[in-house]
Amino acid sequence: MEKWIVLSAMFLLTILVFVVKRRNGRRHGERAHEHRHSFGHKHGGLISIDYLAYSSKIRHWNPTFKVILSVLTIILCIALNNVYVSIVVILAMAYLVIKVGGLALHDYLSVLAIPLAFILISIFAIVIDFSDQPIGIYHLYLGFGYLYTTMAMLKYGVFLMLKVIAAISGLQLMILTTPSSEVISVMKKAHVPKDFIALMNMIYRYIFILLDVFAKMKNSAESRLGYRDFKTSCYTFGGVASNMLVLSLKKAGAYYDAMEARCYDGELMFLEEDKKVEIRLIVPAAVYVLCLLLLWYLTR
Amino acid sequence: MKNRILKVDDLHYVYGNGKLALDGVSVEIFEGEKIAVIGANGSGKSTFFLNLNGVYTPAHGEIIYREMLVNKKNLNELRKNVGIVFQEADNQIIASTVRAEVGFGPMNLRLPKEEVIKRVKEALAYMNLSGFEDRPPHYLSGGEKKRVSIADIVAMKPEVMIFDEPTVSLDPQNAMLLEEVLLKLGGEDKTVLISTHDVDFAYRWAERVLVFCNGKIIADGTPLDVFQNMEILKLTNLKQPTMMEVYNVLVEKKILPDTQAYPKKVQELKAVLDDCAVLLSG
Amino acid sequence: MKKSHKIILSIITLGVLFWGSTPLAQAMHIMEGYLPPKYCIIWGVISLPFLAAGWFSIKKTLAEHRRSITILAIAGAFIFVISSLKIPSVTGSCSHMTGTGLGAILFGASSVSILGFIVLIFQAILLAHGGLTTLGANTFSMAIAGPIVSIGIYKLCQALKVNKYVGIFLAAFIGDLFTYCVTSVQLALAYPSAQGGVAASAIKFLTVFAPTQLPLAIVEGLLTVLIIIALETYATTELTDIGFVKEG
Repeated sequence: MEKWIVLSAMFLLTILVFVVKRRNGRRHGERAHEHRHSFGHKHGGLISIDYLAYSSKIRHWNPTFKVILSVLTIILCIALNNVYVSIVVILAMAYLVIKVGGLALHDYLSVLAIPLAFILISIFAIVIDFSDQPIGIYHLYLGFGYLYTTMAMLKYGVFLMLKVIAAISGLQLMILTTPSSEVISVMKKAHVPKDFIALMNMIYRYIFILLDVFAKMKNSAESRLGYRDFKTSCYTFGGVASNMLVLSLKKAGAYYDAMEARCYDGELMFLEEDKKVEIRLIVPAAVYVLCLLLLWYLTR
Repeated sequence: MKNRILKVDDLHYVYGNGKLALDGVSVEIFEGEKIAVIGANGSGKSTFFLNLNGVYTPAHGEIIYREMLVNKKNLNELRKNVGIVFQEADNQIIASTVRAEVGFGPMNLRLPKEEVIKRVKEALAYMNLSGFEDRPPHYLSGGEKKRVSIADIVAMKPEVMIFDEPTVSLDPQNAMLLEEVLLKLGGEDKTVLISTHDVDFAYRWAERVLVFCNGKIIADGTPLDVFQNMEILKLTNLKQPTMMEVYNVLVEKKILPDTQAYPKKVQELKAVLDDCAVLLSG
Repeated sequence: MKKSHKIILSIITLGVLFWGSTPLAQAMHIMEGYLPPKYCIIWGVISLPFLAAGWFSIKKTLAEHRRSITILAIAGAFIFVISSLKIPSVTGSCSHMTGTGLGAILFGASSVSILGFIVLIFQAILLAHGGLTTLGANTFSMAIAGPIVSIGIYKLCQALKVNKYVGIFLAAFIGDLFTYCVTSVQLALAYPSAQGGVAASAIKFLTVFAPTQLPLAIVEGLLTVLIIIALETYATTELTDIGFVKEG
């Protein structure tokens, strides 16, 4: 059984590497797919997750339900630390987000692949160790000692990788189906301090304003050869970044005035739509969680 | 005589850096007036608006809303009844969905939730934005953002609506839509103030024109009076509206008799010319 | 067993090849699911007093000047945007600044702890960098330890009358390196080496991340200096504006 897990893990990894390669190739090459999200790429495609969340078919689900399900999944992954649980979670989350949520498989994988470099590098560091003895199934003499790895360490590494991918899948359920403003409203319901929520709401809004400003300034700098070589690029980047900050700070007063003009008195309140929690969602979710626990209990 | 809605008396406003932005502005505004506010950039129009709404506190002078002298305590009463649509929609939009954004003002008015939802729905329908509730502002076009920023104020149902240079950076279609909305507002007897650099628009739309120059109101009258006053136009570097110039040329060329019946629109010019043709042939 | 050995070996080779060919150099966010529950909680608890201090300082600023809430929000959005932008690079690889050194110098370490915390939440939900359970560990390395070291070096350089720009460079550069070291230690504590324990494990993590993190720290230092120079040339009033946020 474990052999099969290792095999399928390798398969998954190959797909991920392939997706990342394609994604990078697309980013550097011609932007053939760009028209697909005509306005999603307004901010240079930088924050496509936000756009994907807005276009998810399960966006209308109650956000508190989605956030709790997502967080619970992550917690179960790391707390149970069981490779079978990890595999079920990876499949369940992919099914929810891709099949039910209507997200393209390619988009799902490319988001999953974002931390891939980090996963590979850090797992590599875990499966390799130093020793002064030539032990393990593979070892390499380095003059002062041996780099070695053992079967157990390799298995540990692969299982850890699966756990991490499962947890990230759990996170994907939240970030690819729930717009940030709704995640913030869930935090508000959880009694996070009001000013903190207000700051988060404003920061979320201003991120997009700043990105717009940045894109415009970058284009105008590029049209004047501001990125012709590395040194010029650095100077241009510095100039554009600082200009972006200055422009936005100048507007900070105007933002506040505009809020006050609409009777803002220090407490940021937004109208939110009440989305009902449906029984037909809660029951399968509960069954799914119980299944995970049962699976863990049986394979302990 | 219509009821007076706002009275501004000897308003002075000084910026943080000591620059005098308003230098003794006095004006009375009545119910249902359509006022165009013109003047060069930096002449004090926007500062005047922010004072009218109570965001800025004047250094000297007073604002009387209906019978109420505005002070720190009843400031919100003024803000509730005088709404501003800011020049740049991005500076105004604060929430991350259209629903939350348009509901922001009504929520701040502490209205019950059902009322807020009703108002948001109405305001969006008013601005032809129904169905946009869940859209985030960062995926809206410039024209759509402008409409959202107007819906923001419509939802608050103020008595006076102020538009700060609304036509800037709008494409022709959205500019037309804006004029339709202004007509609709006019039909509901709302008091509307608009600052603009577009003299043709001001001449066509307004019943009254205020001209700002260096923090003072240097002219206040009907569009015809203001735009015939060459001294004022020269002082503020403004041109005469095209329709007036055309009429003047026609009079000069003796095609039209000088009856001072200045047309406001092409349609009206045509009517004047038709009348004239009838006179000549008859 | 022979067959599975080969399979596993090929996975690792693939990984190494991939790592060699696509150096995605970004700040070292520990991703979701990587840390065992115990360490998620421990790092959260360690970050808590710093966040509380930052929170009270922000509360105080807001109580004095309610208007500065928009300035703070812009500062937060700025740190996010700066850290998500692709920066110039010689090799054509994709690298990002952390922005925390710059943030600490501009806005002060106490507000950066909270702003950095919020930025990390947004990085998790908008960019899928980092995660929710690793938020405590990432906050400690990126929003607390890094900025505190940066501001310390900056102040020290001021006191020693080192050239200002050299000071800024060192502050951002060492702050970045420190973040990288703290993250490596965090990883090592969670996954100690079977033979050498935590220390050996830390060395392993430092080594494997060095090729991406060292050049990044240098570029970060340079860009921070360039941004500050540009800010100084045309923004004296705005810099004073941020100054009052800093004092809070």
